[in-house]
Amino acid sequence: MKMTPLAVVVGSLLILATIVFVVVVLPYVHTYQTAPSDIFRLRTDAEAAGRKLYIANGCVYCHSQSIRSIDWGLGAERIAQAGDYIQDYPILLGSQRTGPDLSQAGGEHPDDWQIAHFMNPRYTRPLSLMPPFAFLGDARLGLLTRYVQSLGLKDADHRMARQNDWKKKAIDAYEAGPDANVAWLNAHIPHGWRDIVNPYPTTEAGLARGHKIYQDFCLGCHGPVGDGMGPAQPWIYPPPLNFTILKNREISGGILYYQIMNGITGTAMPYFKRELESEKIWDVGNYVAVYFINDSDANGEPRGIDAAYEMGYP
Amino acid sequence: MEEKVPLQYATAKAFILTSGFWMMIATFYGLLGATELMAPDLTANMGPIVFGRVRPTHINLVLFGFVTPGLLGAAFYYIPRLLGAPLYSERLGVFTAAAWNLFLAALVITLALGMTQGREYAEMIWPIDVAVVVAFFLVFFNFIMTVRQRTESVLYVSVWYVLAACILTACTYALGNVIWRPDGGALTGMPDAILLWFYGHNVFGLLLTPLSAGVAYYVIPRATRNPLYSHTLSLLGFWSLIVVYTHIGTHHLLQVPVPTWLKVVAIVDSVAMVIPVMAFLINIWYTAKGKLGEIHADIGAKFVFTGTIMYFFVSIQGSFMALPDVQRVTHFNNWVVAHAHIGVLGFAGMIALGGLYYTIPKLTGRPLFSRFLADFQYWMVLIGMVGFTIVLTIAGLIQGNAWLNGETVYRVLPEIHVYYVTRAGLGLLIFSSAVLGFYNIVRSMWSGNGAIP
Repeated sequence: MKMTPLAVVVGSLLILATIVFVVVVLPYVHTYQTAPSDIFRLRTDAEAAGRKLYIANGCVYCHSQSIRSIDWGLGAERIAQAGDYIQDYPILLGSQRTGPDLSQAGGEHPDDWQIAHFMNPRYTRPLSLMPPFAFLGDARLGLLTRYVQSLGLKDADHRMARQNDWKKKAIDAYEAGPDANVAWLNAHIPHGWRDIVNPYPTTEAGLARGHKIYQDFCLGCHGPVGDGMGPAQPWIYPPPLNFTILKNREISGGILYYQIMNGITGTAMPYFKRELESEKIWDVGNYVAVYFINDSDANGEPRGIDAAYEMGYP
Repeated sequence: MEEKVPLQYATAKAFILTSGFWMMIATFYGLLGATELMAPDLTANMGPIVFGRVRPTHINLVLFGFVTPGLLGAAFYYIPRLLGAPLYSERLGVFTAAAWNLFLAALVITLALGMTQGREYAEMIWPIDVAVVVAFFLVFFNFIMTVRQRTESVLYVSVWYVLAACILTACTYALGNVIWRPDGGALTGMPDAILLWFYGHNVFGLLLTPLSAGVAYYVIPRATRNPLYSHTLSLLGFWSLIVVYTHIGTHHLLQVPVPTWLKVVAIVDSVAMVIPVMAFLINIWYTAKGKLGEIHADIGAKFVFTGTIMYFFVSIQGSFMALPDVQRVTHFNNWVVAHAHIGVLGFAGMIALGGLYYTIPKLTGRPLFSRFLADFQYWMVLIGMVGFTIVLTIAGLIQGNAWLNGETVYRVLPEIHVYYVTRAGLGLLIFSSAVLGFYNIVRSMWSGNGAIP
């Protein structure tokens, strides 16, 4: 084959045009009229403005918005559909998960948690490597929060409605004083859980594990000495619970376990059921009970071997 | 001896200096980003260098500031040589290089200010997009006019690659950046993702790879004084590259709701990439057969030949990564970052450095200012790049397998921290190599007649 300038230039352009037709134009025809999905709704002006800030600050380089069938984490209840993205200009699927996928982040946390987290992510998530965004200022952080709270669209709205509803009740309970607050908190725990004592004995190793977990997950809000004065506290209302006032308030191991596992909707307390396995929850609960409440029901009878709780063993 | 003409090879020199300078800035941004992943509060609340602005700056500067100008710098030397005619216009060439530097500076400033279109490899705002397209057209125009004035009737394979790279990139850049929509430079919804990755993958397929192949096809036969092994393989490699590489962008979207037939096309063609890759590599490696001593003796050829070995690894790895079962583990994590560094630093970057170190003595008529520094840089880049690949691949495997096992992203962070620290250390090595390299390039260009071997 003789490679003339014409053959090289026109030939390669013709090939390119053909391939653009196959891999760009045909898929466009195939996808540009995608119907809205069941969760689709249009964004509000504030959410759209927040999305611009999300783009300007390169959030997309660490956070995907693309839930796959193989995912387990945040948002994995709903696998992404093409109809979720039909107003996205540009689309922000992302290519890295340095941080979690945000497809369904809306309503996972209340607004005050989001603001504390933007001020410095390590205030609420001590191991995070996300940069602080305090430099954006309150107004823009507000817009960015509106966008994040809209991720998941109608599903996010449903979660936000629950957060806002419970937030009012949580504030009322907090403002009614510690006795009423603790009573309110305990009242939302299923009866069976309230009666369970921590089935495992207090051990040095267990407390050391609890200490490590407390530092990695809890310290940002509840503080290093458990008084609720962690670095996130100024942004959070109702403020993080002060464990040191809980003595003689009938806080069982089961109550601590349930609150850590399930979180408290409407407050900044998230659920940890995805991040902590059973033993870790018992351990960190007992760490709080021993060191901060100074009242642990662990170590009681019946006692099992380390790995098992043996009811009725003599 | 060539007669001393004003402006002789001024364009080649300008692009080589551009490459050497922006390699420093680009690798500094890489080091900065790596440091931020390791110690996020070190640069707390410094908006213009927040990680999300640093990362696109690093990537765009590496692609368009370091690698592309380096490969073009060599081309502005070898194209006139291969055609037996001076460059059509050195003035136009120098103007293009100056404009190129201006858009790179604009890129750094706009991204620092948060002015971005938010699409990977297509971040630059519309005025810069236009400047990039015009620059590629100007480079193409200069080359095609040189072709018209040629005295050598046969076009050598390097010329095909350079002509195709410039004209095809001008087209795909304009298309991929949706240049007809200045406000956002994007389509809406899923078609945007399909177009973006068509374009994004073609930055490698239609720009870096053909320009690198052009340099390798020039430098390896020259340095070894062997004739090219096979004209037929050159033809096969050239045409199959353009046909196959352009089909595979959707392998970035295998886990996303795009049409299944398009995913099948992308997977099949990703595997078929073995054809253009091996056609090129067999041709180059057989050309060099028995002459590795000559390659070792020439620092430019040494960089280029190493680049071809990296091309083998990155391409075979890329074909495997397009398989859905592999991608279940590798997608979304540092494995991909490792892959990108083998490709852009190990393959195209190594060949760009090789091209410019091979070319500089020809431009100045003197040996390099320091062969030792160039060799030292070679080892720094090689160790840095291989080290990157190892630590980021390990980190990626930890992340990918942990996620498949149901771990949250947050839980895995402490496990990969040590790899982030190591990666930042290796980044310092690569940045230092860029500083040494720029010093060597500048001294080689302007060291008067007292050259040091």
